[in-house]
Amino acid sequence: MSFDVLFNQFMSGIARAALLFLVASGLSLTFGVLRVLNFAHGSLYMLGAFISYSVWKFLLMPVLGFYIAAIVAALIMAGLGLIIEFVLLRRLYSRGWPEQLLATYAIVLMITDLVKWAWGGKFLSIQRPKPFTGAVFLFDFPFPSYNFFVIGLGLALVIFLWWLVYRTRLGDIIRAAASDREMVAALGIPIPWLFTWIFVLGSMIGGLSGAVTAPFGSVALGMDIEIIVECFAVVVIGGMGSLPGTLLGSFIVGQVYSFGIMFKPELALAFIFMVMAVVLIIRPWGIFGRPER
Amino acid sequence: MVQNPTEKEKSLSQRVWWLALLILISLIAPFVISEFYLAILCEALVMSLLALSFNLLFGYMGQLSFGQAAFYGLGGYAVAMLMTKAHLNFWLSLVAGILLPAIIGLIVGYFCVRLRGIYFAILTLAFGQLIFFIVFKWHNFTGGDDGIQGIFPPDFLKSPTAYYYFILIVFLLSSYVLWRIIHSPFGQTIVSMRENSERTEFLGINIARYQLIAFVIAAAFAGLAGAIWVPFYRSVAPSYLTWLKSGEPVMAAILGGPSLFFGPILGMFIMTFFHAWVLGFTVYWPVVMGALILAVIFFLPGGILGFIQEKVNQRKEIRNRE
Amino acid sequence: MFLQTQGITKEFGKLRAVNNVTLEIKKGDIHAIIGPNGAGKSTYFNLVTGYHRATSGKVLFRDKEITNLPAYSRCNLGITRSFQITSIYPKLTVYESVLMGLLSHRKVTLNFFSSAKKFFKEEVWRILGDVGLADQANTLGDSISHGDKKRLELAITLGTEPELLCLDEPTCGMSPEETDIAMSLIKKFSEERGLTILFTEHDMSVVFSIAKRISVLHQGTLIADGSPQDVRNSEEVQKVYLGHAA
Repeated sequence: MSFDVLFNQFMSGIARAALLFLVASGLSLTFGVLRVLNFAHGSLYMLGAFISYSVWKFLLMPVLGFYIAAIVAALIMAGLGLIIEFVLLRRLYSRGWPEQLLATYAIVLMITDLVKWAWGGKFLSIQRPKPFTGAVFLFDFPFPSYNFFVIGLGLALVIFLWWLVYRTRLGDIIRAAASDREMVAALGIPIPWLFTWIFVLGSMIGGLSGAVTAPFGSVALGMDIEIIVECFAVVVIGGMGSLPGTLLGSFIVGQVYSFGIMFKPELALAFIFMVMAVVLIIRPWGIFGRPER
Repeated sequence: MVQNPTEKEKSLSQRVWWLALLILISLIAPFVISEFYLAILCEALVMSLLALSFNLLFGYMGQLSFGQAAFYGLGGYAVAMLMTKAHLNFWLSLVAGILLPAIIGLIVGYFCVRLRGIYFAILTLAFGQLIFFIVFKWHNFTGGDDGIQGIFPPDFLKSPTAYYYFILIVFLLSSYVLWRIIHSPFGQTIVSMRENSERTEFLGINIARYQLIAFVIAAAFAGLAGAIWVPFYRSVAPSYLTWLKSGEPVMAAILGGPSLFFGPILGMFIMTFFHAWVLGFTVYWPVVMGALILAVIFFLPGGILGFIQEKVNQRKEIRNRE
Repeated sequence: MFLQTQGITKEFGKLRAVNNVTLEIKKGDIHAIIGPNGAGKSTYFNLVTGYHRATSGKVLFRDKEITNLPAYSRCNLGITRSFQITSIYPKLTVYESVLMGLLSHRKVTLNFFSSAKKFFKEEVWRILGDVGLADQANTLGDSISHGDKKRLELAITLGTEPELLCLDEPTCGMSPEETDIAMSLIKKFSEERGLTILFTEHDMSVVFSIAKRISVLHQGTLIADGSPQDVRNSEEVQKVYLGHAA
């Protein structure tokens, strides 16, 4: 159990955390403002991964192929998010959370079959894009350089979201709407459009993160539920509807996953659940969350 | 909505007649329908029990559980493993098929009830996935992806007709027990929790505790459903525990109507036969289920029975005004 | 000793809503908590009833410290409350709603097999008769008038047979006639059932007509506490309400 090995696992954990944050932030954003937990977020992630694979396969461009595929996937998912919000969710804001959750569950079912029909039950992956094809040596241990790309992207997203939420007018509206929706509407801000754009943004991030995960080689049916469960662990641990909480939660889950894999790969998921269970006992609203009362 | 005594008596005796008729039909069913349809009927009854267990939590307590299939599967696996590996007798295995899911339900439920609403729902999904994952990966113990085969009921229940009556009896007894629970002080408490959780809390009820008890009861009945199904089907597989399977009682409850006791039963009967029909020409059942859920949400809120009840109430109101 | 708060404080972030309030409520009293808007009346109320957890200080009920007890435990000890925004069961009938309080208090809620409707019929009808809702027993909670809903909530709380009944703005939104009815009810229950009543109010005529003791809060601090006469004559109170001494 030398330092090098531990450091390597730690860095893997950071990479995993970055990926988790990429996905979970979209979910957290949507929930914070719309108060809708988009169950189908994992499906958008999965669809983004599959679409990026097909685009990449089609383009066959050695350097730009992946990046273009990722952007295309993100845009298509943004479009799908627009349709979902406009056609379905909008009619359900006045209904209770059960209907909203069931509707997004229905979308999960439909997308799962769509993926099965369009791509079959295969396990797919994209080649690591240039210039991230090799490995960098950390303390004599090879560390895939693609991980740095993911970490970089995660950081970029953190900065972007921080800027968006805390430094722009839209961000002020987002934060206000998260605490008092009626007041914001009363101030003349068109809530329906706000919701649509937030949902589209969340979907786009979801699709992009799906593309980003494709080079890790885990594009397959079932990744929608897998990621939603992990995202949920992130949100439970870090705190509901709080972006710093999502960041912290991603970090914790990423590390638990990474070190869990090192000790006993089959139990990695179980370890995450154990941490979640502990948080639920001592602080059910999450580390950065606020109690209901 | 004031009902005078004779009206109430009338609707009660009406309902008793309907019930008696349905039971009579179910008793003569094996002599009227083919073995193929008898098997589907068995499935409908078993899954209806699962749907009833789900609706205890959803219709009556107001919480969505996306993990009921995990308990259903655990009940099935308990019976399968005890009978094939430990050579335990059928009846004791059945008891285990209720107890194991109940105990796991107690552990899982303990964590789930710390949260409410959406969070509770996704937590149940998460734990359901965890249980599925454990069963799926633990190849040495559970057979993993292969599942377990060769589970046979005792000789006198081997024929489909005989086992059908067994399932029917278990279903009727369980329904009766669930009915009593719902109309008991405990049932009234969980309904009050759904109607106004804060008010009930400030009347002295520890909400989490009662939700946990209801959760365990639901897990036990879900387990029983799985436990009686597996010897009929002669095998069990990890697919019994997936989130897809968990969606079926959800679908059944909202289709039939979660606000009435018989809603989930009606919904599940429709779904089971519909599912069998759909599987005849396509394997893409989830997309059909998803479309159905959306259709019910938008066009039939309250489900079929909820819709009928509303119409009946509307007509009563018009009559009262005249 | 009946109910006592010792140096109770509640902070919401940087806002100190209740500041070091030491107060005693005597058994059998009708005790009012008043104060201008933002005085911390509701927060104090919430601290006593367990809706909020105190930042510091203690709450004691009959010599037992209940500061960290959850709300449902306090109810089981004999403290029940009503809410400013009427909290009833919209889709249960009036009868069923009142029954719930009794089921909980008489500890039969873990009975899984008997029919709930068979329990405590006498007690439910008695409470319904006392508050005047017997003729609406089979009506759904959301179908009755606002004033009736407030009476229903009162009836529900009576189901728990409390020793200390905490009423948060019991006449809020009521017409003068309804207010009179509500007040005479409260007075009646205090006398007939030996209930101790703690309530907050904005309507001063209500307060001075039935309260035996009044405590005044201002910006979270207790500034007066005594008989209605004492409070009426207190300079501090006059300054706070009128901006100057009368």
